[in-house]
Amino acid sequence: MAAATSGVEIARQHLIDPEICIRCNTCEETCPVDAITHDSTNYVVDFERCGSSRCMACIGPCPTGAIDSWRQVDKAQPYTLDDQFSWDILPTQAEFAQADAAEIPTDVAEITAEASSGQGGPAAPPWSAAHPYLNLYSIAKPAVATVMGNHRLTAAEAASDTHHIILDFGNTAFPVLEGQTIGVLPPGLDERGKPHHVRLFSIASPRDGERPHYNNLALTVKRVTEDHQGRPVQGVASNYLCNLQKGEQVQVVGPYGASYLMPNHPNSNIIMICTGTGAAPMRAMTERRRRRRGQKEGGDLMLFFGARSPAELPYFGPLMKLPKDFIDINFAFSRMPDRPKQYVQDLIMARGSDVARLLRDENTYIYICGLKGMETGVNEAFHEVCGQHQMDWEQLLPALRKQGRYHVETY
Amino acid sequence: MAQVATTAETESKQFIDYQTHPDHYRHWQLAFDGPIATLKMDVNEDAGLKPGYKLKLNSYDLGVDIELYDALQRIRFEHPEVRSVVLTSSKDRIFCSGANIFMLGKSTHPWKVNFCKFTNETRNGIEDSSEYSGLKFIAACNGTTAGGGYELALACDHIILIDDRSSAVSLPEVPLLGVLPGTGGLTRVTDKRKVRHDLADIFCTLTEGVRADRAKQWRLIDESAKRHEFDEVVKQRALAMGASSNRPENAVGVEMTPLRRTIDEAGYHYEYVDVVISPSARTATLTVSAPQELPADDLDAILAAGMSWWPLQMARELDDAILMLRTNNLDVGTWILKTQGDASRVLAADASLLRHQDHWFVREVIGMLRRTLARLDVSSRTLFALIEPGSCFVGTLLELALAADRSYMLALAEGEAAEGEAEAPKIALSELNFGVYPMVNKLARITARFYGEEEPIAAAQAVIGQPLSPDAALELGLITMAPDDIDWDDEIRIAIEERASLSPDALTGLEANLRFGAQETMETRIFGRLSAWQNWIFIRPNAVGEAGALKVFGTGSKANFDWGRV
Amino acid sequence: MSINYSEKIPNNVDLASDRTLQRALERWQPEFINWWGDMGPEGSNSFDVYLRTAISVDPKGWAHFDYVRMPDYRWGIFLNPAEAERKVNFGAHKGEAAWQEVPGEYRSNLRRLIVTQGDTEPASVEQQRYLGLTCPSLYDLRNLFQVNVEEGRHLWAMVYLLHRYFGRDGREEGDALLERRSGDPDNPRILGAFNEKTPDWLSFYMFTYFTDRDGKFQLCALAESGFDPLARTCRFMLTEEAHHMFVGESGVGRVIQRTCEVMRQNKVEDPEQVRALGVIDLPTIQRYLNFHFSVTMDLFGADVSSNAATFYTTGLKGRYEETKLGDDHLLNSNTYPVLQVQGEKLVTVYEPELNALNERLRDDYIKDSIGGVERWNKIIDKQGIPFRLTVPHKAFNRRIGPLSESRINPLGEVVSDSEWQARQDEWLPSAADRAYVASLMGRVTTPGQFANWVAPPPRGINNQPVDFEYVRFN
Repeated sequence: MAAATSGVEIARQHLIDPEICIRCNTCEETCPVDAITHDSTNYVVDFERCGSSRCMACIGPCPTGAIDSWRQVDKAQPYTLDDQFSWDILPTQAEFAQADAAEIPTDVAEITAEASSGQGGPAAPPWSAAHPYLNLYSIAKPAVATVMGNHRLTAAEAASDTHHIILDFGNTAFPVLEGQTIGVLPPGLDERGKPHHVRLFSIASPRDGERPHYNNLALTVKRVTEDHQGRPVQGVASNYLCNLQKGEQVQVVGPYGASYLMPNHPNSNIIMICTGTGAAPMRAMTERRRRRRGQKEGGDLMLFFGARSPAELPYFGPLMKLPKDFIDINFAFSRMPDRPKQYVQDLIMARGSDVARLLRDENTYIYICGLKGMETGVNEAFHEVCGQHQMDWEQLLPALRKQGRYHVETY
Repeated sequence: MAQVATTAETESKQFIDYQTHPDHYRHWQLAFDGPIATLKMDVNEDAGLKPGYKLKLNSYDLGVDIELYDALQRIRFEHPEVRSVVLTSSKDRIFCSGANIFMLGKSTHPWKVNFCKFTNETRNGIEDSSEYSGLKFIAACNGTTAGGGYELALACDHIILIDDRSSAVSLPEVPLLGVLPGTGGLTRVTDKRKVRHDLADIFCTLTEGVRADRAKQWRLIDESAKRHEFDEVVKQRALAMGASSNRPENAVGVEMTPLRRTIDEAGYHYEYVDVVISPSARTATLTVSAPQELPADDLDAILAAGMSWWPLQMARELDDAILMLRTNNLDVGTWILKTQGDASRVLAADASLLRHQDHWFVREVIGMLRRTLARLDVSSRTLFALIEPGSCFVGTLLELALAADRSYMLALAEGEAAEGEAEAPKIALSELNFGVYPMVNKLARITARFYGEEEPIAAAQAVIGQPLSPDAALELGLITMAPDDIDWDDEIRIAIEERASLSPDALTGLEANLRFGAQETMETRIFGRLSAWQNWIFIRPNAVGEAGALKVFGTGSKANFDWGRV
Repeated sequence: MSINYSEKIPNNVDLASDRTLQRALERWQPEFINWWGDMGPEGSNSFDVYLRTAISVDPKGWAHFDYVRMPDYRWGIFLNPAEAERKVNFGAHKGEAAWQEVPGEYRSNLRRLIVTQGDTEPASVEQQRYLGLTCPSLYDLRNLFQVNVEEGRHLWAMVYLLHRYFGRDGREEGDALLERRSGDPDNPRILGAFNEKTPDWLSFYMFTYFTDRDGKFQLCALAESGFDPLARTCRFMLTEEAHHMFVGESGVGRVIQRTCEVMRQNKVEDPEQVRALGVIDLPTIQRYLNFHFSVTMDLFGADVSSNAATFYTTGLKGRYEETKLGDDHLLNSNTYPVLQVQGEKLVTVYEPELNALNERLRDDYIKDSIGGVERWNKIIDKQGIPFRLTVPHKAFNRRIGPLSESRINPLGEVVSDSEWQARQDEWLPSAADRAYVASLMGRVTTPGQFANWVAPPPRGINNQPVDFEYVRFN
């Protein structure tokens, strides 16, 4: 097991934010396992007692939200009650020694290399990206998640069948960041009698959970019924996932991805360009920003999203509800009756001046995700826009890559 | 009889019992000679009710008075031919020396108070029979008549003191014992015998008392007689006083059969009266039942029924229950009064009582009811009447509700009672509620309730015989409250619990003050003023402290008073 | 009109089969709605408010969030789940089984305790009814309304006890709770502090911090009661009461935060200059604090009280955290320090502990309320402003009890009447202070926007963003 080799087993510790807590005693009163106690300064949570229950009974009644605080910790050395009593503020998330890179399964390494080839090989993450956990769970010792929800995102009449699947990790620590991927191990054996290959999926939810402060995450999975060439084929993992029922268990490995991570510093802008299920990391980043609007954490968000039609566009409804001053959304539909085909690159060019403004800003980060085929068009569009706005894309692109501001994940 | 014997045995261990029979008398001789009954006090000094004292010199304790009460009852019911009763003594040169001082000295305060109350009631009963039943009482004081002995004489219509140059009447309580002549003595000296207050003052502080001539002069006695003529004078006086009596000449008495009663852990159980005691709640629930069938109505049938005629049996049972509770269950401070049965039968009994009220037996039954209800009034217990479905608070039994400190009537919606559900309770008045059962203040309970105001009394009179709904009863002011079925249980439970938590002393005072209203009579002055003072004195160190007068009496020590006036 | 009880009135008291309650509520519920219409938040009946509704007592049903019009709020009746074999834990009945019905003996005292507690609930709604017109943000407006509906629910909780356990008397008291009016000289609310005005949002925050905290301590003491339904009711109310104190603590904290930010950014300290920047200067905040603290001190009652002793001995009202205390729970022999003015000085005298229970609860309260004040000071410290807020001495500005006969400054020194007159504006909000704070009150209703004098909160409600549309005006 990955964590074992590094000597650190990660656990998720429940804490109370002393800056927000008003010491009302409600949580202590509510806690069925007496995990919460207090002294004259702070209310604190006993790691062992809480961990063995993790009932969340205290979350709802807390009037402040202070109760809903979590940190990844070394399971062997969680924060003690005395540590917590001494706090004025919550400690920042501690760093842990990473698992050995060699542990990353060959499958995963290959897929990742292929996916990120569009950015010209491995890239640095944004400087303000949070530190990711990597490869906490291996194929030999996968984490087990429970399906909490599985519903179709695309309209009934749409040709593609894309699902939103929520996996809950229960008491298992599975820290992720927006843009990371996880691996799913489909059960059973392939036609050659070997276990199926691991399949990677981008996480579609922000780091604090699909439901805030719950230990869960969401995936956006399109049921694969044909290959890139349009030949009928049953995607093993996608069909497995799309068919899952609530309550079923799934073997998960990862998380993976130390590069395709979002910036967190103030005024950091994000340009997101995606098609189809490439929306997953965009949704994660957008949702992260939405939840933290009060903190004024980031700068502008600009989204270019391509699909055949609105009916096939995952998350179309929720996206439409987001305020205009929060995110600048541009949809490109390629199969609309009575309308010329439109692709994301068309819109990038159409929004050239705004795109150029962002490109000039060193706080702008670009994320591309979707079918491999989009890479070229997008590249050309940037080239075009730069040309029109007195910039040189050929010079800019390497700089962007170097600064961890240009991230591609295609398949 | 086996039943009675068993009961008696049980009781001897735990209970004071008020039931007895002339065959068992230890202190009195009861003799009949035509229209004259003679009750001779002959106290057996070794037969005190409790150990620790000797009943010397015809002194009495509760046991002696229980027999006196029984004897009076027998004269009333078993001997209709008796027109006058001579109270005298079989002891030489001593009529009666009053309540036994050593008994009083040893008794607890509640015992003393209960004892005095019962003796007061018995003496009031003598006067009651004189007033209502044509029985005249002659005290033939054939020797020393001291303290309670003189008080007994005072209850009689006529006092004859032997003039032997030594026998005297006296009330020596104050100088000798540091207490009052509390069995009505002080009150009767003034109110009844109209002894001038300054003379009474001297009389009440003279240990040796007053002999015949001055006693007559001061109105302390009615006449005196020399030893040789004494018996004859007494007899002639008795005959003369009996002459005007309206008691029948040739009637046959009704034997006072023993009450059928069982006593168990739950309480006291009779045929028409049932007492269930809750020791933890300190409540007793007294349920009085209507007759099972229509009670006898014509006189022959009534006489044939005798002691089992419902109004009389019920009254005797209730009387006994009250006495039992008072004496044996001191901490049961709240009596919950209930009735059950067919109200029409109760009203039928009332009609019979009214129609035959001049017949000697019915008159005695009414007297029994009157005295029993009056006993309830002065029982020093909280009385709450609960008027529930199936009850029969009508006529005579409505007196129970009227006697109560509060009455709660369950309000159920009219005519909505489904099959098997209870009908709303009703109450009703009968003529008997308007003066036949006066309280000790001589007022009908309903008159006292409305302070004699004409309007509400007339309104009540106007609905005699009509069943009254809770609303109507509330409107007429006949009940206190009418909670509905939803509130009932809580309302009643809380009222009773709350009551039971209040100071028993304060409640007794409160209830006595509120029950009797403004009008005073000699009886209310005895129960109120005299008893209250006496009861106060009874707990003062000057009487019952280590060196109190009552305690040191007979020891040769002198009482050591705290001289501060209070 | 009959009521669909389980739908309309969420409850865990089996209302659907309790005729006593149904009958009482049939009458009372419309009266309550009328009262809410007359005296509830002004002009708010058509708003959709993102409210928390308790629909059951378990953690999942406890905090159910949705948009609700306040007159349609589902005021429920909830008792904490019963504790098996619960005993009376203090006083003369200690060790006996806790009472499930009102002991007749203590009916009137219990009723008085419940009525006194119950009266404060509608009173504070009345006090706060105009605040919505000057809300500093939608977030705050929603919090105000949440406080209001929960005060309403607390009224329901107390009225439930009156209706269920006190028969006709209880129904009459339940009616009277809707008939008294905060600040009405002819028909005032029972306790003085609940007849004071809550004229501005700083007062509201202070009120919810200090005065609602008195409610917390009273509820804590009643939650120890030997009368089990009262204990269970109050225990559940405490869970909601926490929200009120959160509004207070975070509200004052955000005012301080904003003031300090502006002071730091503009490098000003002088109160006049601070005011010129449109925020509330720290000395004014201190004076508001002094006022609300001292008014709340009086709510605990006389320092030496035979009533408190009786309530304790008879098992009706315990101490704060009674069952966690390690003494004999009878208190017959100990003493407790109480303040008295002797000559020109405050001195400590020792009174029998039983009689000093009000004072003890007051001291427990002070300890608790100081904690929040210290957290406010951390906000000031973080901004590097050299200023500290303090709670005044507990004898300061008292209006009830023997201490009210002397003038005592915030440091606990007895001062002359002339000194008091001369300096009271340093200690308590002056008319000018109140006028200034009032001048800042405007109405901000754009989602995510906040009045200039108050900082946004670090978190939204129920994990919603801060700019969530917490109230929809229709």
